[in-house]
Amino acid sequence: MSFIPGIGLVRGMGLTLRRFFQPKATIMWPEQHADVAPKFRGRLQLLYDEYGTLKCETCFQCAQACPIECIDMGGVDTKGRFHVHWGAPETYGERREESALRRSGRPVADKAYAPFEGIDIEPLDGILEAHDYDPREMLAILEETQAEYGYLPVAALKHISRVTGAWYAQIYGTASYYRHLRFEPPAVEAPAAGTAQIAAEASFRSALDASLGYGGGAN
Amino acid sequence: MGAFLQTPKEWATVLLARADRIAADPSDLDAAVRAGAFEGLKRAVRDLGATGTIATIAASGLRGRGGAGFPTAHKWRAAADRPAGQKYVIANGYGADPAVQTDAALLAADPWSVIEGLAIAAFSVGATDAILAVRGEDAALVTLLEGAVLAAEEAGFLGDDAAGSGHRISVTVRPVQGAYMLGEETVLIKALEGKRGQPDQRPPYPTEKGLFERPTVVNNVQTLAAVPWIVVHGGDVYATIGKRGSPGTVLVQLRGPEGAGIAEVPLGTPLRDLVKLAGGTGSRALKAVLVGGPTGGLLPADALGTPYEYEALATAGAHIGSGSVVIADERACVVDLARLLTKFSADAACGKSIPCRIGLRRLYEIGERMAAGTPRLNDATLLGDLAQDIAASALCNHERLATLPFTSAMRYFRSELDDHLLRSTCPAGVCTPIAVGAGATAAGSR
Ligand SMILES: Cc1cc2nc3c(=O)[nH]c(=O)nc-3n(C[C@H](O)[C@H](O)[C@H](O)COP(=O)(O)O)c2cc1C
Ligand code: SF4
Ligand code: FES
Repeated sequence: MSFIPGIGLVRGMGLTLRRFFQPKATIMWPEQHADVAPKFRGRLQLLYDEYGTLKCETCFQCAQACPIECIDMGGVDTKGRFHVHWGAPETYGERREESALRRSGRPVADKAYAPFEGIDIEPLDGILEAHDYDPREMLAILEETQAEYGYLPVAALKHISRVTGAWYAQIYGTASYYRHLRFEPPAVEAPAAGTAQIAAEASFRSALDASLGYGGGAN
Repeated sequence: MGAFLQTPKEWATVLLARADRIAADPSDLDAAVRAGAFEGLKRAVRDLGATGTIATIAASGLRGRGGAGFPTAHKWRAAADRPAGQKYVIANGYGADPAVQTDAALLAADPWSVIEGLAIAAFSVGATDAILAVRGEDAALVTLLEGAVLAAEEAGFLGDDAAGSGHRISVTVRPVQGAYMLGEETVLIKALEGKRGQPDQRPPYPTEKGLFERPTVVNNVQTLAAVPWIVVHGGDVYATIGKRGSPGTVLVQLRGPEGAGIAEVPLGTPLRDLVKLAGGTGSRALKAVLVGGPTGGLLPADALGTPYEYEALATAGAHIGSGSVVIADERACVVDLARLLTKFSADAACGKSIPCRIGLRRLYEIGERMAAGTPRLNDATLLGDLAQDIAASALCNHERLATLPFTSAMRYFRSELDDHLLRSTCPAGVCTPIAVGAGATAAGSR
C-alpha cells in the first residue's frame, strides 16, 4: 500500500502494545472462578425425583431440539415399558461430524450402532421404497417394519433415518410414543401389536367398574 | 356396551335417523341412497354452493361434538377464507375414551352420513383431500369404511368430479392407534404426519396451520354426520332441536348399575332424564354422576336438573367431553373414583409440558395419599392450588380438564373428602386401609 518502510511493523507492535495494557481475560482457575450465567446448567444429566424414579420421560424432545444432536438418553421410560437402546458412548466430535455430514445430504456411517444386532435390510428397503422414502409416512413405515421383523430393531431405525433423512431422535421419539410399537423381540408368543393399548383400556374399564362397585363386569 | 337405547318418542333423532332403515346391511350403498344418503351433498353442490352451505350450517348453530363445542361454521369459514392450494378436512373418529363407543357405533350403523358430511365439509372449505381417521384396532370397522368409500367413489359421489361438482374430493380412511391422546386434534394431525403424538400450542389453530402446515378442518364424526341432515332439512329446522345456543342431538354413552347403552339425546336434556334412561340406580341412592369421561366432573344428586349442554355443564364443573355419563350409586367413594380417573389421565398424558408430565402425577399422588389414609396436613390446600395451577398453565385441554374429577369432588363432596383428609375414614368403605384402620367397616364392605 504505502511505501513508508517499516510501517507494517510499527502497526503490528502498536496492537501488541495496546493489548499489553488491556485488562487480562485469563482466570487463575481453580483459585479464581468465572461468573456463570444464571441459566447455565452445566453437564447434561438426568435427575431423579424424591421417589427415586427418573424424571425423564424419554420423550426425546430435548434430543429433537438439540441443533447438534449431542443429546442421547438411556434407561427405562416412566411407563416402565422397555429399555431404551442406545449406542456406545460417542464423543461430541463424532456426533458433530455425523450431524454435519447428514446436513450435507451425504450418507453417514453408523459406527455408534455397530454393537447392535444386524438385520437383513432387504425387506426394509422394500417397505421404504413402497412409501417413497417419505418421512411423512413414518408411522406406516414403522408399523410395517414391526410386522416384518416382529419388533423395531435399532439397526432398522437407523437405516430408516439414513434413507428418509429424518433424525434418529425424531424416529425414536415417534416410535416410543405409540403403545403398539415395540423395541424388543417379543417373548416366546408375541401378543398382537395393538394388545398393549387394548389391555390398558380394558384395565381402565374394569378399574372404573370396581370403583363404582358394579360387580363382575356386568352390563 | 354398544347397543342403542330406545329413547322417548318426542326426542328428535338426527344422527341415527337412517340407521334403522339400513340396519340390514349398513355397507350397502344402494339401500343407503334409497334412504336418502348423499341427498345433502347433491343439494350443497347444486343449490347452495360453498358459501351457501357454510351459511346453512351457521344458521343451524351446529357446534362441535368432539367436546369443546366450537361452532362448526366458524371453523369451516376460517379454513375456507385461507388462500391455499392445498387444504385438508379430517373426520376425527378415534373415540379416545376407552369406555365410550359412540363414534364407532355411529360409523358402524351409518357410515354414509359421516362420509357425506366429510365430503360436504371438503366441498365447502375447498379441500380436495379428506381423511377419515379411525381406530386401527377395530379392523372390521376399517374394512367397512374402506369399502364404503370405494363404493361412494364408484358411484361418483366422491372422486375427481364429486357429485357433479367439478371438484375433486378424495376420501382416505386412515387407521391410527396406540395412544389416548390421538383424540386431540393436533395430536391426530401429528400422527397423520408420522410424528410423535404431542399436542401443539394453539393458536395457530389447525384451520390456519394444520396437517403438513396446510389449513385443516378437524371435526368429530358426530358433527359431520349431522351436516347432511342440516343441508337437506335446513339450518333453521335443526336450530329448533335441543336447546337454543346448543341445538341438535348428541350420542351419549350411558352406564349405570341398572343398565347401559348408547342413546341419541337432544342437547339440553336434564341429567335426570339421562339417569332414568340408563335405568336409574335401583334400590340404592344415587351418589354422583360422572359427566365427560375420564376427565369429567362428578356432579351430585342435587345437580340432576342440569341440562346436558355445553355451557350449563361447564358452569356445573363438568363437560360433554367424550359423551360419557356414568352413574355412581352409594357404593362408590368419590375420592377413590377421582383418584382412579386422575391416574388414568396422568398415564395418558403425553409428557410435553410440565403440568401434563408432572402436575397430573402429583395430583394423582395426593388422591393416592387420601385413599391410603395417609394425607398430609396441607393436602386440601395443595390439591386446590395444584389443580388451579395445572388448569392455568396447561398446554392442551387434556391436563386442563383432567383436574375436573378432583375440583368437582372438592366442590360438591367436601365432607366426604374431609372424612378422608381429617379423620382418615372412608364413609363408603371403599378405601379399605382407612376403613379398616378407623373401624368404619360398618358402612359396608364388599
Ligand atoms: C385429550 C383430548 C381427547 C380428545 N378426544 C377426542 C376424540 O376422541 N374424538 C373427537 O372427536 N375429539 C376429541 N377431542 C377434541 C378434538 O381435539 C377436537 O376438538 C375435535 O375433534 C374437533 O371437532 P369438533 O369441532 O367437531 O368438536 C379430544 C380433545 C382432547 C383434549
Ligand atoms: S427426553 Fe424429554 S423428559 Fe427426558 S430429558 Fe429430554 S426433554 Fe426431558
Ligand atoms: S397431554 Fe401433554 S401437553 Fe396436554
